[in-house]
Formats: sequence, structure tokens, C-alpha cells
Amino acid sequence: MRTPEQMIEAELSWISSMVLFFATVYTVLKLDVLWAAFGIAAISLYVLPIISMRNPFRALPWEMTLLLAAPMLLHISSGSGAMLDHFESWHIADLALAFSLATIGFLLTVELRMYTDVRMNRPFGMFFVVMFTVGISGLWQVGEYIGDIVNDTNNLVSNRHVMMSFVWVLIGGALMGFVYDLYLKAMSEKRKRILGFIHLPEVPK
Amino acid sequence: MKERLKLLSRAMQAVTVAVAIAGIVTGNLTWVPAAIIALLISFIPSILRRDLKITLPIELNFWIVLALFLHVVGGFSGFYDSIPGWDHLTHMMSSSLIGALGFVMVVIVDKYVKSIYLPRPFLAFFIVMFTMAMGVFWELMEFANDSLAHTQLQYGLDDTMVDLLFDGIAGFIVAIFGVQYLLRVSADHFVDSLHVDEAKDKVVDYLQKRRDSV
Repeated sequence: MRTPEQMIEAELSWISSMVLFFATVYTVLKLDVLWAAFGIAAISLYVLPIISMRNPFRALPWEMTLLLAAPMLLHISSGSGAMLDHFESWHIADLALAFSLATIGFLLTVELRMYTDVRMNRPFGMFFVVMFTVGISGLWQVGEYIGDIVNDTNNLVSNRHVMMSFVWVLIGGALMGFVYDLYLKAMSEKRKRILGFIHLPEVPK
Repeated sequence: MKERLKLLSRAMQAVTVAVAIAGIVTGNLTWVPAAIIALLISFIPSILRRDLKITLPIELNFWIVLALFLHVVGGFSGFYDSIPGWDHLTHMMSSSLIGALGFVMVVIVDKYVKSIYLPRPFLAFFIVMFTMAMGVFWELMEFANDSLAHTQLQYGLDDTMVDLLFDGIAGFIVAIFGVQYLLRVSADHFVDSLHVDEAKDKVVDYLQKRRDSV
């Protein structure tokens, strides 16, 4: 049933999931609560489909897994001196958060296509990426707010700060919508079949 | 039940008219425009039904009128200042309304766009995300308005975050009700009851006539 191509895809996916795993372990050990939460959410999104399909060979494509790990790596390295020296004015923390939430929006849309009966055309898929990104960021900020109250911390800083992070997330989500479009365009038919992007009646226009 | 809801909707519209008149008579003009706009919006479903034959479910109709009513009457009577949490109540009303309209939209899209198929459990997920996203857009709009026109729509961090929290809750409630509703009434039946087909025919007819006359 499994072709060699499928085996290779799955193995690449498992290997790249290790990056995500160790990045999460790092944030957990550093007691970096918010990013540990993100890492655990990302790992769950990686593992849940595998569990619900009962098929470890239907894992996410490896580049998706690396993409999930990328904002965490950005965040981790933003603490390093070299990064701060060179890009201090770039608001790396804001960018990393926006990037991570947009990644989740992207991931959710891809997962809906890979693992469920949901069918969508391209414009709708792009719309979903943006909407999921913004929706998740809303839930995320509410979560942070509750965390602030419970732990008596001040992660959200101010109303202006939260609003600006929403603006960044919106920009990130819109960009990610285009990335989604390009991603599906760039992926070959053969690879789509291997990965289980099965139902593909993308209306040819 | 349906008749009663209809009657209640009419009563609330009447009160909105009364608010507008009372505002003009007493010279208390702050809430008059809001009352008039709310009244116009509350008639949109009827206009849709008359001109396009699109019929929204009576419960949704009632919900629209109720949300507008609470906003106008609360504003006119000063409930926004005197009753704690009133703004969160009206905010939750309007966000649940947006969620419900999103739900109607998605069910229609699911039926009419061939390349899109959205199974039931997904609808619940969609409603929660859509409501939340619209909530964020709303807050961003208020923020932009505050920054550019120096108004004061956002009271502060706590207020904004509680608004968003209520958006989330409203999304979950609408998701539960929406999916329940589709269990009772099948999606096909639901779309049929909206008479979207007839509306489509009417629009096509209209466009045809315009083309012919040119």
C-alpha cells in the first residue's frame, strides 16, 4: 500500500518534527510559558491527525513542520546577542508572534485539506488562512489576558500594544494567504497525491 | 411562538421610533441618528423579503431587532454608563449576530459553489473562528477611529480584552445552536427556506432586462 515516495515523505516529516520538538523542550526548560504553549499547540497539531488517522505515515509535509518551528527558532535566537545587535529595531518579538500565529492559520487550512472532507477553492483557502490567523490571534490574546490576571503578570502591556500586534498579525495573515496560494501552485500533482491532498477539484479556469 | 417573536420585533421597532421622537421633542439629539439608523437596518430583512424574496429565519430576524433595540434604548437611557457590563452585553449580541450571519453565508456558499464542500463539524469551527476574527476587526476599527479621529471608543485594555472574551463565548454559543439547528432542519431545507433560488432568478431576470434595454 505504501510506496517508497510515501515512506520518504513520512521519514522527512518525522525528522523535521524533531526540530519542533527540541525547540519546544528548550522553551519549556526555560519556563518561557507563552512560547512553550505555542510549541505544545504546534506539536499537538502535528500529532493529532496522526492519532486520529491511526497512521503515522500520514504526517504533515516536512516543510510545514519546519515552518511551524521557524517562529520558535526566531524567538529563541532573538535572545541572542548577535541578533539583538543587528536587528534591534525590527521588533523581533512582535514579528515572531505574528509569524507564529499566521503559521497556525496556514497550518489549519492545510490540515483541513489533507485530513478532512472539507473541499475549498483557492480564493476560499486564502480567505480561510487570513480568517484563521486573525481568529486564533484573538483567542491567543484573550488567553494571554487571562494568564496576566491569574499570574499577576503584564505580558499584554497596553491596549495600544495589543492592537499593534493585531495589525502585525493581520499583515502576517495576508502574506501567509499568498504563501498558501503559491505553496499549492508550486506543489506537483504527484506530491499532492502522495501527501493526501486528495480531493482536488480546484476548478480549472 | 413564531407569531409572538414577530409581535415582539414589531414592539421593539415601535419603541425605537418612540426613542427617536422623544429625542427630537426633548432636544436630546445624541441618540436620534442611532435610533433612525437602527430602525432602517431592522427593516432590511423585510426589504430583502419583498424585493428579492430572501427570507431569513424568524429567530435570526428577532435577534437582529433585539440587538439594535438594546443598543439604542440602552444608549438613550444611559444604561451604558449606569449598568455595569451593558456594553459587553450589547457587544455580545452583535458579535453573536455576526456569527449567525457568517453561518448563513457559509451554508449558502456550501450549497451553491460546486468546488466547496464544508461538512457539519467544520461549520462549528468556522463560526467560532469567524466570530473571533470579526471581533478582532471590530476592535481594530475602533482603535483606528480612536487614533485618527481622536474619539474614545476603546476604554482601555481590560475593556477590549473582555469584549474579545465575549466574542469568543458568543462564537461558541452560536456554533452550538447553529449545528443543533442544522440537525433539526437539514442544510438543504434550510437553504430552500431562505429562498435564495428565487432571489437568484430575480437578479438574473433584472440583469437580463437591463441588457435588453441597452
